[in-house]
Amino acid sequence: MTDVMTPDPTTTIDDQVDARFKKVRRRRIPRFGVLFGMTFLIVLIALTVLADYLPFIRSPETGVKVNGRLQSNYKLGPGYVAWWGTDGNGKDVFAKCIYYARYTLFIGIASTAIGLVVGGALGMLAGYFRGKTDRVISILVDCLLAIPALVLAIMLVSRLDDIKAEIPFLGWMTRLWQIILTLSILAVAPLARIVRAQTMALREREFVLAARSMGAGNSRIIFREILPNLVPTMVTVAATGLGILIAAEGALAFIGVGIDTSWGFMINANRARLEKAWWATVFPCLMLFLTVLSFNLIGDNLSRRFDVREAAV
Amino acid sequence: MRYFLNRFLQLLLVFVIVTFTVLVIMRMGANSPEDLAIKLAGRPLSPEESSALISKYSLDSNYVVQYLNWLKNLVFHFDLGYSPQANMPVEELLKPRVWTTILLGLYANFFGLLIAIPLAVHQAYRRDRLFDKAGSMATFIAVGIPGIVLGVFLKLLFVVHWQIFPSIGDKVYPWEDLHDHVMNFFLPAVTLTIPIAAIYARLLRADMVMTLQSDFITLASAKGVPPGRVVWKHGLRNSLFSLVTALGTQLGALLGSAVLVETLFDLDGLGSQLVVSVLGRDLFTVQSFVAIIVLIVVTVNLMVDLSYALIDPRIRQARALG
Repeated sequence: MTDVMTPDPTTTIDDQVDARFKKVRRRRIPRFGVLFGMTFLIVLIALTVLADYLPFIRSPETGVKVNGRLQSNYKLGPGYVAWWGTDGNGKDVFAKCIYYARYTLFIGIASTAIGLVVGGALGMLAGYFRGKTDRVISILVDCLLAIPALVLAIMLVSRLDDIKAEIPFLGWMTRLWQIILTLSILAVAPLARIVRAQTMALREREFVLAARSMGAGNSRIIFREILPNLVPTMVTVAATGLGILIAAEGALAFIGVGIDTSWGFMINANRARLEKAWWATVFPCLMLFLTVLSFNLIGDNLSRRFDVREAAV
Repeated sequence: MRYFLNRFLQLLLVFVIVTFTVLVIMRMGANSPEDLAIKLAGRPLSPEESSALISKYSLDSNYVVQYLNWLKNLVFHFDLGYSPQANMPVEELLKPRVWTTILLGLYANFFGLLIAIPLAVHQAYRRDRLFDKAGSMATFIAVGIPGIVLGVFLKLLFVVHWQIFPSIGDKVYPWEDLHDHVMNFFLPAVTLTIPIAAIYARLLRADMVMTLQSDFITLASAKGVPPGRVVWKHGLRNSLFSLVTALGTQLGALLGSAVLVETLFDLDGLGSQLVVSVLGRDLFTVQSFVAIIVLIVVTVNLMVDLSYALIDPRIRQARALG
């Protein structure tokens, strides 16, 4: 697929990369931001993957005990024994935060991937074929955007249990997959819209014309000429979208229609005791915030490098 | 005019598709009409009650007939249906809660614009100075902060730590008691305002920076128009495009976060009611709720579409020709 994007022979690739980096470095948010985002995510992923083997992370299921007594009812504040304190059942808040990151990250990545494939396909079809295809897809996208995302999500997730009972082949769908399905539906509409706009611009470009004049069919043009040029946009939007979807997952769990092993659920479960035990609410909040922020920082940096304006906000 | 009509029909179609889909989603999973009536009510029903519900809302017919029946009641009798869960008409259930959400939305938009416009204009005017950089950083963080996190931190600071605001705020409307109203609505409104102000500010700044580099701005400055007038009149008016679009697109997101904020701050509004109704499988309440929201979102987007012509005479001309 590189034949489409052959670089200008007078400059080396290193030159181009240098020029890009210089441009980025001069921009408003310093590179420190991306560095922070990358570091935070890498550390978080490493901790979650290795959580079973690391000595300083307890199991989130067993309570913290001091002198054989369970430290329930928020007895331990943040300190040496339990770094981020204990919650109402005497569980280690730090361990819970790390273990629950597994679910959160998995949900975010899986639903972004599904959303990318479906939304990207719809957007490309609409933008490439235009006419009636575009009409139908655009109305579909309009419909999805007309309902507030969170309202749609609450409705879908809470109904999927009943719907599952009616349609037999959906029996495998656990709560986790229900959330993933719902969030990926949310991701489809904005992605389809951006990809459609980009495809419409790309299909008028000279290299598409060249391919067509050489006798390339629609599928070749879409997959070999247009798709590679959409990758930067899609990657950028996916990074920002991951942050949004993770926040949405937290919101669903917070309201009580998500999974129980989630930061949002922890926030909701402990927020009534904010006065007595701030740590049980604040640390999950902090994790949620920093994760979303990291994805945003990376997405922002990508959007500068690839010059994707739609994802900037 | 043709343009307007075209858009209008398209949005009408969106309204019908969305409400019909909601009906299908909410009704699926019930096997028989009696089963559905019980699910609707969320409690065991006597045969008379059950058959009354079934005949009133044609629960025994297919989705399309039921939908048309609902639409007919809505359009001709302004009857939103009946909420068996709360045992009262949907209208009575939603009416006392509508203003909470509307007020929150208005506050968020009003104060959002009040913060965003001066901030963005000043940032764009003094581009790349310290103020601009700090402002961009602040808005970047504010855009990304999840609603629950912001809400919890505000609550921790103002309710728990400094104890400025009461911990449980039951809604009080401004026409009842202004002081109590401010006490109850301030934090929820701030939680909604901060992200939306940041989004507006970022969009406006980006547009404004582009505008201020164009030739007519240079001309205006060169012919001696004072800087304030150049920026606020010539610059701002030509930079409003993205901001106005965002007013429409952000409305949905705002209504979504209202669900969270109302739950978090115990404000009894449409959003918190929605969660209760969805979980209780209260078909007509959910359906009416979605219908109202979609109607609002669609109308606002139509107005936004029309307002482009007000802002930019070129669009007016193009539409008149096309």
